[in-house]
Amino acid sequence: MAVENIVDVRGLTRRFGAFTAVDHVDLTVAKGSIYGFLGPNGSGKSTLIRMLCGVLQPSGGQAFVNGFNVAKEPESIKRSIGYMSQSFSLYRDLSPRENLDFFGGIYGLKGQHLQDRIRAVIDLVGMERYADQPSGTLSGGWKQRLALAVALIHEPPLIFLDEPTAGIDPVARRSLWDLLFDLAGQGKTFFVTTHYMDEAERCSEIGYIYLSKLILKGTPAELKRLPQVIPPGTRRVAVMTDNPSLGLRTLKRLSFVRDATLVEAEVHLLMESATSDAEVIEALMKEGLPAHGLREIGPSLEDVFVTVTRSLEQT
Amino acid sequence: MNGLWSVVRKEFMHLRRDRATLIIALILPIVQMIIFGYAIDFDVRHIQTAVADLDNSRESRQYLSQLHAGQYIDYIASVSDPEVVADMLRNGSARVGITIPKGFARTLLKGGNPQVGVMIDGSDAQVSLRARFAFVTPPSQIPRGATDARINVLFNPDSKTANFMIPGLIAVILQIVTVALTAFSVVREKEIGTLEQLMVTPVGRLALMIGKLIPYAVLAMVELAAILTLSDFLFGVVSRGSLVSLTIMSLPFVVASLSLGLLISTIAQTQGQALQFTILTMMPSILLSGYVSPRETMPGWLYMISNVLPATHYMQITRGIMVRGAGFGDLIPQSSVLIVIAMLLIVLSTARFKKSIA
Repeated sequence: MAVENIVDVRGLTRRFGAFTAVDHVDLTVAKGSIYGFLGPNGSGKSTLIRMLCGVLQPSGGQAFVNGFNVAKEPESIKRSIGYMSQSFSLYRDLSPRENLDFFGGIYGLKGQHLQDRIRAVIDLVGMERYADQPSGTLSGGWKQRLALAVALIHEPPLIFLDEPTAGIDPVARRSLWDLLFDLAGQGKTFFVTTHYMDEAERCSEIGYIYLSKLILKGTPAELKRLPQVIPPGTRRVAVMTDNPSLGLRTLKRLSFVRDATLVEAEVHLLMESATSDAEVIEALMKEGLPAHGLREIGPSLEDVFVTVTRSLEQT
Repeated sequence: MNGLWSVVRKEFMHLRRDRATLIIALILPIVQMIIFGYAIDFDVRHIQTAVADLDNSRESRQYLSQLHAGQYIDYIASVSDPEVVADMLRNGSARVGITIPKGFARTLLKGGNPQVGVMIDGSDAQVSLRARFAFVTPPSQIPRGATDARINVLFNPDSKTANFMIPGLIAVILQIVTVALTAFSVVREKEIGTLEQLMVTPVGRLALMIGKLIPYAVLAMVELAAILTLSDFLFGVVSRGSLVSLTIMSLPFVVASLSLGLLISTIAQTQGQALQFTILTMMPSILLSGYVSPRETMPGWLYMISNVLPATHYMQITRGIMVRGAGFGDLIPQSSVLIVIAMLLIVLSTARFKKSIA
C-alpha cells in the first residue's frame, strides 16, 4: 500500500446479526493529516473506530492501519497506535506520572528511555504542575491532556481521538486543538470524531457517516462546494431583522423557504432563487418585523450535513 | 406516603430487569437448604480405615467384616506392614488403622481375648469419637470370647477442639479473603472504563491476569503469617509440622483461590454482582470443606462438589501439617490438586477475558 496513506479502508463492513453497523466504507487518511470523522450517534462511528483499533473483527472488506491488516494483525496495530477515549479511562487513583509509567511499560518502554518519554509528554501537554496529584482530581481539560499524553507515550504515528473535547470548556478545547495542530505539523496523524462543527472546520479532511454508510468525504472547502448542498434553483442568504427568533418562525412558514436556522442573531435561509429579496422583507414587514436587508452567503459545514442528511431522509 | 406505589412499581421493574440478582435471590435459599441439610451431619459413618491383618485367618477376617457391618468402618486399604498403616494416618489417607497381630485366631480359639491394635487420627474430634464407638461396642457375635481393642489416639490425643478447628479456620478465612481480593479486579476496571484503554494496548491477556494475581498472592501470604501468629497467641495452637512446608504448600492454595476470584471478576458484569458471587462461594467453603462437619457424612454428589473447592484440599494440608505433623511428601496429592485447580482457573479466566468486543 502507499506509504502516504496511514489508514486505508476498502469496503469495510461490520454486521451485528441482521443489523449492518458499518456498510462498505472506503476511506483513506493521509499521513500528517487531521481526519475528522463525523456522524450522528448510532451511525456506526464507534464501530468503525473499534475495527480500526483492532478490538473488533470486521465482517467484510479490508482495512490497513499503519500497514497492518486489522483482521489479521490486531495486536500489531495496538502497538502502533495511540487511543484517547471520550470518557476518562485512566486510573484515577494513580498520578499522571504513574499512569504514564504504567502504560509506557505496557508498550514495552523501559528504564531511562521510559523516564525520558514521560518527561517529554508531560512537557508537551504542559502538566508538570499536576503530574503528581491523583488523576481523578484533575479538571476535565487536564484529564483530556493527560489522556493525550498517554496516547503519545510510545510515539505512535497515528492517534485515534474519540470525541476528545466532549464536556470540556472552550479554553481547554482551543488549547487541545492547538496542540493537535502542532503535533500534526510534526508528522503525527490524528483520526478524530466530534460533534462540534468548528472542530470539523479545522480538520484537513472529513468523512461523514450516516446510517452505516460513509456518504461524504473531502476537505471542508470541497464539501461546501458540493452541488447537493445548494440544490438547483436555490440560494443561501442571511437575513438581518430586529427579532431574529420571531423572524425565524415567520420565515419557516413561507412556501419558498426550504430551510431556515438562526446563526448569531441572523436568520440563514435556503430559499428558491426565483424569489427576490424584496419578497422576503415584505413577508417580515407584514408580521411587524423590520428587516435590515439580505446578504448572499455560502453554506457552513453544518448546512452541508443537514442538507445532505435531510435529502437522504426524504428519499 | 407520597408516591408509595410509584416507588414500589419502580423497584419491581428494577428487579425484573436485574436478572442476576433475581436468580441469585431465588437460587440461594435452595442451595443453602441443600448444603446446610446434607453437609451438617455429625453422625459420621464410613470412616476410612487401613488394615494390617498379620494373622490373616478366618477368625480375623470375620472380626473385620463384623466391624464393617457396624457401618462406622470402611476399609480402604489392606497392607502387610503396620508401619504403612501409621504412614497412611499421618498423610491423611486413612483415619483409622487396625493391626491384627499374628496369633489372633489361636488366642481366640483357646478362649482368650486377643489384642487388636487400633490407631485413631484424633485431628477431627467428630471422626475420632465415632471411631472409638465402633470399638467400644464390639461386634456381638464374635465366637468364643471378646477382642481387646487397644485404642491409641494418635494426634491431638486430648481432643482439644481448638487444635483441630483453628487449622481448619485458617483455610476458611484465607479462602474467603483471597477470593474477595481479586473478585473485583477486572469488573472494577470494566465499570470505571479503564478496561477500554487497556483493550487498545498490546497488553497480554495472560500477563494481565497473572499481573493481577501476584500482588494479592504476596498480600495473602502476609495474611497467613498474621493468622498463624494469632492462632498461637489467642488459642495456643502451634503447628506440629514445619512452618516452611506449611508456607510453601499454602502458595498453590492462595493462587487457586485468587484465581477463583479472578474468574468471578471476568463473569460478573458489575461490582455488585461480583460481591454476590463472592458470597456464593463463601458458604460452600465453610460448609463443604470439612470445616464444620466431616466430609465423610456427605452424600456422594456433595462430596464430589466439595472436591472442587480449594479450601477442601487446603484444609487437609493445614490439618495434616499443624495437627498430625505431616511432612512435605505426605501432602503432595493435595498440593497437586490445588496446583491443577489454580491452573485451570487461570486458563478459564484468561479465556473469558477478551481483549476484543464480541
